[in-house]
Amino acid sequence: MTEVLFYVFAAVLLIAGLLVITAKNPVHAALYLVLSFFTAAMLWMLMKAEFLAVSLVVVYVGAVMVLFLFVVMMLDINFEELRKGFWKFVPLAALVAAIMAAEMVAILLHPAAQIPGAQLVEPPPGYSNVHELGRQIYTTYFLPFQLAAALLLVGMVAAIALTLRKRKNSKYLNPADQIKVKRNDRVRMVKMSAEAKPTFEQPKADGESQS
Amino acid sequence: MTWTSLNAWVAAPEIFLFCATCAILLLDLFVSDAKRGFTHWLSLAVLVVTGALLVRGYHAAPQYAFSHMFVADPLATLAKVGMVVGVALVLIYGRSYAADRGIFKGELYSLALFSLLGMMVMASAINLLTLYVGLELLSLSLYALVALRRDSVESTEAAMKYFVLGALASGMLLYGMSMLYGATASLNVLEISQRLMVEQSGNPLLATFGLVFVVTGIAFKLGAVPFHMWVPDVYQGAPTPITQLIGSAPKLAAFAFTIRLLAQAMEGFTPEWRSMLVVLAVLSLAIGNLTAIAQTNIKRMFAYSTISHMGFLLLGILVGNVVGYSAAFFYAVTYMLTAAAGFGVVMLLARQGFEADRLDDYKGLARTHPWFAGMLLLVMFSMAGVPVFVGFFAKLAVLKAVVDLGMVWLAVFAVAMSLIGAFYYLRVVKLMYFDEPEGAAAPLSGCMFTRVVLSLNCLALLGIGLFPNDLLLLLTNAVEFSLPI
Amino acid sequence: MLQNYFPILLFLVVGILVGVLPMLLGWGVGKVLGTNRPDAAKLSPYECGFEAFEDARMQFDVRYYLVAILFILFDLEVAFLVPWAVVLDDIGMFGFVSMMIFLAVLVVGFVYEWMKGALEWE
Repeated sequence: MTEVLFYVFAAVLLIAGLLVITAKNPVHAALYLVLSFFTAAMLWMLMKAEFLAVSLVVVYVGAVMVLFLFVVMMLDINFEELRKGFWKFVPLAALVAAIMAAEMVAILLHPAAQIPGAQLVEPPPGYSNVHELGRQIYTTYFLPFQLAAALLLVGMVAAIALTLRKRKNSKYLNPADQIKVKRNDRVRMVKMSAEAKPTFEQPKADGESQS
Repeated sequence: MTWTSLNAWVAAPEIFLFCATCAILLLDLFVSDAKRGFTHWLSLAVLVVTGALLVRGYHAAPQYAFSHMFVADPLATLAKVGMVVGVALVLIYGRSYAADRGIFKGELYSLALFSLLGMMVMASAINLLTLYVGLELLSLSLYALVALRRDSVESTEAAMKYFVLGALASGMLLYGMSMLYGATASLNVLEISQRLMVEQSGNPLLATFGLVFVVTGIAFKLGAVPFHMWVPDVYQGAPTPITQLIGSAPKLAAFAFTIRLLAQAMEGFTPEWRSMLVVLAVLSLAIGNLTAIAQTNIKRMFAYSTISHMGFLLLGILVGNVVGYSAAFFYAVTYMLTAAAGFGVVMLLARQGFEADRLDDYKGLARTHPWFAGMLLLVMFSMAGVPVFVGFFAKLAVLKAVVDLGMVWLAVFAVAMSLIGAFYYLRVVKLMYFDEPEGAAAPLSGCMFTRVVLSLNCLALLGIGLFPNDLLLLLTNAVEFSLPI
Repeated sequence: MLQNYFPILLFLVVGILVGVLPMLLGWGVGKVLGTNRPDAAKLSPYECGFEAFEDARMQFDVRYYLVAILFILFDLEVAFLVPWAVVLDDIGMFGFVSMMIFLAVLVVGFVYEWMKGALEWE
């Protein structure tokens, strides 16, 4: 049963992967990517790596894909133009891929090559993948765990450094600034010496310019 | 699990660097653009302290920490000292360039320091997982740094290419590592080697497959032919300080990374990876040197020259014994210094609106700025491998190791390619000394401190070239202590 | 082991049926009972009586991307919290402090974001 499921999921994964790169519409490509992530999560589930499977769904299907769709929407690119070269290079690319696949198959089918069938250890009853991971990550893998935090921090700094910019034409008002405003920010008091009262004397010569 | 069993003090330099970088990241928020010099000097002070901690923690015997995820052995410690120097030189040389181009920001410093942290982790990691996380920390910081001039089309294009190909390489590497894990059921470098060599308990075929992918990933990161496509575009498109950062210190990290994976984890597969590295080295030497001749942009020329130098580095590694590794280590350290000096001169000549990256910009430099023309002459001679300069001894050490292995044809080929390579290095010298300057002498950028450090860096190329033995001995000892034979 | 997931499978099947059945029913019933006489004007996209001006896809602001990526980073952080919460009894004080260091690093990032104004929407 598990074996059949494996082949079904593997086939779906491969087809979805192919469709990601051949789909005409980038939004469709992103959705096929969702399908392939989801299928990969199912493969992990078959291996009883439940936590990884669920986090793959939560993080990739839930969050990263949203990001992908944002990026697709953000780009002002005519995707038809971009794909023009695709079919032109397909024959060559297919040839290279076929040679690589043939080489791998040739090696793996060679009598000297012996890769034992993957033996999944049947876990004892009551085994929990999350427990086992948790016991390792925070103790044995202390260093990579903390480095992962550093990596996330670098991700934040990089994202902000590359995309955050102050807009010039923003019509946004900051309420805090509005409240903090003092009289002196709005009204400028000008001290000047009193002037003599102007006297009304009619100019004589060029009267027409005044009236 | 207890705190003392972590042995965290072994990683004191890394821990200090990490905390200090976080502090700089936050402190910089309160610094106005006009006072950014504060961040600059603070970063340099952090580098000095990190270097001091490294030197103080030098032990001949390897010391393990964090449940055998991390090792501080002489090889790692010396490589890390080199990286700290490399990053400090980037910050010193790059300051005025960055200020002129609007990238003199806090992120420049925090990301550069994070990339240094990544390199240091790469050098000290003894576990596949830690190696990979260190590499990603380095790569992610570098991708962001390349794109830091975000209004420049060239920089963004370079960052995009770097990112896509770098991600592909990381994928390859990770795939290979997963196969190694599948073959040996261990992530620890020493255990993998133990299982493959002594116990013969691993699966050799799966390990060979893993090896292929690991070598591919390493070749991508080193920029060896045929995985070199990103190098010229990234070198040309990135802001020059970032080009210097990519072209200098990470080469040391990549060297240590290669040693951990190939010389330590896959020690039992030396004949297999040697033949792969021979192909990479031959192609890198040929294509790097031949293509560099056709370049008119000095940053692009340096890119192809890096490719050929990485060919030499691989020659040293493929020998597969202490002599070869220490020759490659010497090559990496001296190349780091040479490349830093080369980019330092380029940045000194650059000013606002003028990149000084065309070869024609160097015409008649000897008349306009005789001292720095002389300095660039030292760099070019060293890169070309002219005797008494350090590049010569680096090449000599590598070639000697290759000949000792019995691969004379490879050594002859490398010499022939370096002779071809000498042509384009000497062409720069010819442009500087025998051509007429194109315009009036322009002022140099950079303060007196920058110029003094740059001059010392260039003179060091001559100095180490005159007395190479101390450094070579130090590095040989480090390799001997670090790799249990 | 995987049998434990049977309720989820059942839930998925029921969920899909609830979504798909009305559609199929509507389609089938419409085929039988409805009339279908399309013409060019009926099938054209309607935009307040005008011909459609432009592509329905419009360019998004890069700020959405920034918000999304900052969300993902914290999403990942939360993913790390799950196994920790499950095994906190086993890993004791060491595990607790280990996670606190992890969180402290991310708090540094959070403070940085906040001070930079990346969380403001101008």
